[in-house]
Amino acid sequence: MNMTVAAIFKKDWLGLLIVVLVSGLVIAAVKPAFLSPFNLYVLMVSTSYMLIIALAQMIIIAIGQMNLSVGAIGGLVAISFSGLMEVHQISVPVAVLSGLVIGIACGFLNGYITVKSGISAFIITLATLYIFKGINLGITEAEPFYNIPENVKNFGNAKIGNTPIPFLLIIPIIITILMWVFINRTETGRHMLAYGNSVQSAELMGISSSKVVITAHIISGFLAAIAGMLVVCRLQLGTPNIGDSWLLPSFAAPVIGGAILAGGKVDVIATALGVLIVAIISQALVIFKIDPFFVQIFLGVMILLAVFVNRYREYKQEVRRKIFSSE
Amino acid sequence: MSEFCLEISAANKSFPGVKALDKASFRLRKGSIHALLGENGAGKSTLIKIITGVHRQDSGTLFINGKEETLNNPNDATKFGISVVHQERNLIRRFSVGENLMLNNLPKTVLGLIDYDEIAIQSKKWLEIMDLDIDPNTVVSELTVAKMQLCEIAKALSLKAKILLLDEPTSSLSPKEAENLFSLLRKIVRDEGVSIVFVSHKLEEVFNICDDVTVLRDGQNACTSENIKNLDRKKLVRLMIGRDEQIVKSTRKTDKIKDTVLALNKVKTELGHENINLELARSEIMGLYGLVGAGRTELVKCLIGLEKIIEGDVIINGKKTAIDSPKSALEKFKIGYISEDRKKEGLILIHNVLDNTSITVWSQIKKAAGLVTDGMIANKVDPYIRKLEVKTPSNYQIISNLSGGNQQKISVAKWLAAGTDILIIDEPTVGIDIKTKAYLHELILNLADNGTSIILISSDMPEMISLADRIVVMKDFKVNGIVENDRDYDVVSSKIMEFIHS
Repeated sequence: MNMTVAAIFKKDWLGLLIVVLVSGLVIAAVKPAFLSPFNLYVLMVSTSYMLIIALAQMIIIAIGQMNLSVGAIGGLVAISFSGLMEVHQISVPVAVLSGLVIGIACGFLNGYITVKSGISAFIITLATLYIFKGINLGITEAEPFYNIPENVKNFGNAKIGNTPIPFLLIIPIIITILMWVFINRTETGRHMLAYGNSVQSAELMGISSSKVVITAHIISGFLAAIAGMLVVCRLQLGTPNIGDSWLLPSFAAPVIGGAILAGGKVDVIATALGVLIVAIISQALVIFKIDPFFVQIFLGVMILLAVFVNRYREYKQEVRRKIFSSE
Repeated sequence: MSEFCLEISAANKSFPGVKALDKASFRLRKGSIHALLGENGAGKSTLIKIITGVHRQDSGTLFINGKEETLNNPNDATKFGISVVHQERNLIRRFSVGENLMLNNLPKTVLGLIDYDEIAIQSKKWLEIMDLDIDPNTVVSELTVAKMQLCEIAKALSLKAKILLLDEPTSSLSPKEAENLFSLLRKIVRDEGVSIVFVSHKLEEVFNICDDVTVLRDGQNACTSENIKNLDRKKLVRLMIGRDEQIVKSTRKTDKIKDTVLALNKVKTELGHENINLELARSEIMGLYGLVGAGRTELVKCLIGLEKIIEGDVIINGKKTAIDSPKSALEKFKIGYISEDRKKEGLILIHNVLDNTSITVWSQIKKAAGLVTDGMIANKVDPYIRKLEVKTPSNYQIISNLSGGNQQKISVAKWLAAGTDILIIDEPTVGIDIKTKAYLHELILNLADNGTSIILISSDMPEMISLADRIVVMKDFKVNGIVENDRDYDVVSSKIMEFIHS
């Protein structure tokens, strides 16, 4: 496909990229400390796992559903990962693998029950949220695991060479690229979007809805698991409340990135920029020593703005279509 | 090889409580266009579902190219080259045309990733067969309805369809678009070796394009694969309804038509209507006729306050008024609007009969505390549900389970219950069988005789001429002319056509 300049201008992410660049430059001009290595490091660390959490929700939004249990899966994986290493002395690679398996199993459960019951994923994942969280609390008795192996801790603190870039960021970047390819260039990814656009049409075209839905939930669980383990690396401990605060931000970034909750429209790059915008705003408010409650207000305004912009775009497209039709 | 590419003999199919098909037979000649006709509920849909593998017949045999076959699911049907173009548009609107065409079999690069260039090349071929001069990269939502439909047919052809089922393909096309569709259908029958099953309520189309006709009535064959040359319109109608078509005789007493209730004076709207002058009298049926896109539905939407009128006067019962919403249109001025799109705008499909019928009267019957009980509702609306002979097991049946004709009756009943003075009826009989249609016609005439003023929008010329007292011809959001209707079909229709083409 030839990417012409006009095509780039049509992309959802262009406006967001401008927002990121402009806000970054403005903040840096007023407060040069914004670009200090330490500050950039903090910014990138918080972006790293939020990016994966946002993608975990985005893939479910793509099929027109919601996953309320992203945080609960992440939390369960986080404490399993750290508990296996601390209590059972299991090696790091096996612990990572076990964490991924647990995430995939949780996602499969969400998808399988949704497909078999025909009940909305909103309800199913609301139920599994409590189940996963309950298991989490049962295992930990609300106590964190403190004895994380040194190499895991080091990974959480490491930077690439002399740059302020955290090692932690590598995984989310790889995952973002893979997700872009998956959504835009693979048959399963396209079938998911088709399903999100219209369940009925997709089924009539011979797309298997159970395959699409279960796959999406498995990917979501898998990503939530990775995010959970990254947070353990970052915090240097496995606390049972990891994941508790993920839910709303997981929707914020895809929505800022132009995703439609009814399904069928998501954009990986725009979602990533959405994460970045949220991080920049939070960071800027810290630098300017503004009360933290403003972060919330800002976030709310951002979401409203994003939704209005999308509405306006769709309206313009509709008008264009009407002009076409009356020819 | 058999002369028939598809043959069904003596198929029976029962659903709990209904015998949908009773020894129904059907033979599709290779390279022919075959009309499948029948009223709503005659068994057409069931037969189509058997052909497409959605249902299986209880007994009876199905032959494809002379060989007995069993279709267990829609995929089996696809394998035998059977493809349906559904009434509802079934493309993925946010995807490109090319991707929609190839979605079942996306071409891939060596890495296993989707090859969009190849999609464009491969899909172009099928678009060209359908004379569609569109870039395969165009997003479907930017196409007109007519082009979307052609894309669907192109998609079916790309799946190597040899038997194509078209379910009311022209219901949302303009006459010109329909004519274009027909010439393309003839072309693919000739060049691509496709055979077509054509379902329609419009008999003109059947005579225009079909070679053979099968008529179902109450699940049985009223005629089986008859050559169209042996039939005329009258015979066909008799086969479908078991008696002659009822021409609504004009028993209108025009002396009742007096006193202007509604007048539009030099109205200009946000949507682009210019200089609209109209007068509607009590008891009058005023028709709005025009081609698709003439601005008729848009005009009445401005009138009831859904869109804005920016210049000119709306005068109701002699008083200049401004209607700002459908709510005030109903409550202050007693104007009701029966939408052409009953599924999207007329009914709440997941609610029951009672709730749908009573939605317009809640505000009239609520008690002091603003509460409404089922009993109060039933008292108010039940007479109308009965009057319209709505076929429903109970008033608590969910609307989406009723047939199209009965759904339309509910959307009419709702406004009867509301007791409107001016009723706007938009395409009341699209997709409705002949019997219900005749019934609705009588109802509209009755309403007018009893003092309701009616604005009727219809693209069905016979319907227009049998109902309207005056016919306003619209074109390009303007009034092109007004025809006094003396119900002489030939004279009036030619006058209308003159205005449309002037």
